[in-house]
Amino acid sequence: MNKNESQYSKKNNSKKDVTGDDIFQMKSITKRFGGLKALNDISFNLKKNEITGLIGPNGAGKSTLFNVATSIYKPDSGKIFLMGENITGKRPHQICWMGISRTFQLAKTFLSMTALENVLVGAIYGHKPRARNVRQHAMEVLELVGLETKSDIITSQMTLSDRRLLEVARALVSQPFIMLLDEPMAGLNPSEIKKMLHVIEKAHKERNVSILWVEHKVEAIFSLCNRIIVLEYGQKIAEGKPEEIAQNNNVIEAYLGKPSS
Amino acid sequence: MLRLNQMKVHTKYIAGLIVVIFFVLCPLFLNSERSYFIYFLYTTFIYITIAQGWNLIAGYTGQVSLGQHAFFGLGAYITAITWRAGLTGYFDPLAFLLSGTGALLLAAIVGVVLLSKLRDDYFSLGTLGIGEILRVAALNGGSFTEGAAGISLNSTAYKSMNHYYYTALFIMLFTLVVIVLLIRSRVGLALIAIREDETAASANGIPVLRYKILAFSIGAFVTGLCGSLNAYYIFHVHPPGVLSLNWVVIPVLMCILGGAGTFMGPILGAFVLSIAFELTSIWMPEIHPIFSGAFIVLVTLFMPSGIMYYITNHKSMIMRRLRLTVFKWMNQKA
Repeated sequence: MNKNESQYSKKNNSKKDVTGDDIFQMKSITKRFGGLKALNDISFNLKKNEITGLIGPNGAGKSTLFNVATSIYKPDSGKIFLMGENITGKRPHQICWMGISRTFQLAKTFLSMTALENVLVGAIYGHKPRARNVRQHAMEVLELVGLETKSDIITSQMTLSDRRLLEVARALVSQPFIMLLDEPMAGLNPSEIKKMLHVIEKAHKERNVSILWVEHKVEAIFSLCNRIIVLEYGQKIAEGKPEEIAQNNNVIEAYLGKPSS
Repeated sequence: MLRLNQMKVHTKYIAGLIVVIFFVLCPLFLNSERSYFIYFLYTTFIYITIAQGWNLIAGYTGQVSLGQHAFFGLGAYITAITWRAGLTGYFDPLAFLLSGTGALLLAAIVGVVLLSKLRDDYFSLGTLGIGEILRVAALNGGSFTEGAAGISLNSTAYKSMNHYYYTALFIMLFTLVVIVLLIRSRVGLALIAIREDETAASANGIPVLRYKILAFSIGAFVTGLCGSLNAYYIFHVHPPGVLSLNWVVIPVLMCILGGAGTFMGPILGAFVLSIAFELTSIWMPEIHPIFSGAFIVLVTLFMPSGIMYYITNHKSMIMRRLRLTVFKWMNQKA
């Protein structure tokens, strides 16, 4: 997979000519905070058009992994590849231009802007070369997440659910290869969760985007993911299909503790 | 609805135009050499310009700079030194350009260092240092800056107050136009995004540092222009005068009072505060800073986000009260 190919594939916005299944790779990533190893020698791949779940108890390093993947943190060692290109140490905005977009655990929308303006930021700045018809792109993704009627509402007056949907829209509008969702369902009620699940599924299908998804709502993640990665104390303890993960002893131990014999 | 909105925008432009025409015509009806009103407008224009420059970096982009007096002072010194050296003359456009550009370059250089490394309060403290560094440099500059005594310029070159008045008006209008165009463009969207959430802004593809430096530099440029004009006005450029903290504190106060992050805020704030300063200094010259201070405290107490936000948030309430008062008054008459 050479460099030119990856660039052109993004420019034409046709992801079909991207060869190889692994579009994103993390190779033995380690990240320390003082004496704490938040991530310890983590390696995994993301495959094209796959939804991958990332689960683990609180403090397992899931959000740190996201921040390393989007260059908000620099890893102490290890490398990250997107379409075969080394992206370790690039600036966060460059990472976005190259095709990784994300949402945040604490819905980071631009509160003083309207919903449409929020998405316009992603439409105008999230993509290189800069797209034309940004307004049309923005309205399309707002429609996709079901916020088209709320496009003129100031974000600070929106519900948490709508703000999370808006973040997904803003991430999608930059035409990413990979979308990282950091607990998109945290704090949502069952009907809102249903809506969010529907939106994620729709985004995945209509936009051909691979998704890496951190979630505590295990039933939601098991219903939609092709593959699941489990972290505990900064280490990868399991990886596989949802059925396998549900049976995995390490995972059960991590969540429920060791059985007393 | 759309037509109504368009009409509203239309009336805004017309109102702005009328005010500008009024300012342009003022010197024709008043004796500008003697009129206090002309002098008042001249200083207010300068304050509006500096406040609007600060508004761009602090109000819109969220990076609270306290270094505007450094850019003001640098502009003044560049004008004075080039004039003394014979490179530029009295009211030389080249001097204005050099002063503005000098301030812009200083902001860009300092910005690369400070804006990339320091966040929030630390950035403010860092910028406060720029002014201090310049002040010490000017004091110890030997014959180049003439130390504490400062550079005295040839005051016989003075022509008329109208020159100053119209130049200040022009610089202010230039600044307002630049800022309104910036804010309504895509650049404005990026700046506000940075203010609202820097991490989210960069994760959405905005090269944060570049836009911060852009806003900082443009603010510095217009402040440098004001410094240059001030050098021509005072004919004496010395550290306590042009590098005084007043050149940052007063415009910042005006901007916050009017509403930082709004276009009308700094304009309104500058007028309100200038009027408050002038009135108190006329009525109670001995204790006027106390009253100005009390006034500032009261306004911030009752309108914590500035006059502009208060007006936009309470528009219907204000209108209702107005109508009620008029109604009562008419009833009394009847």
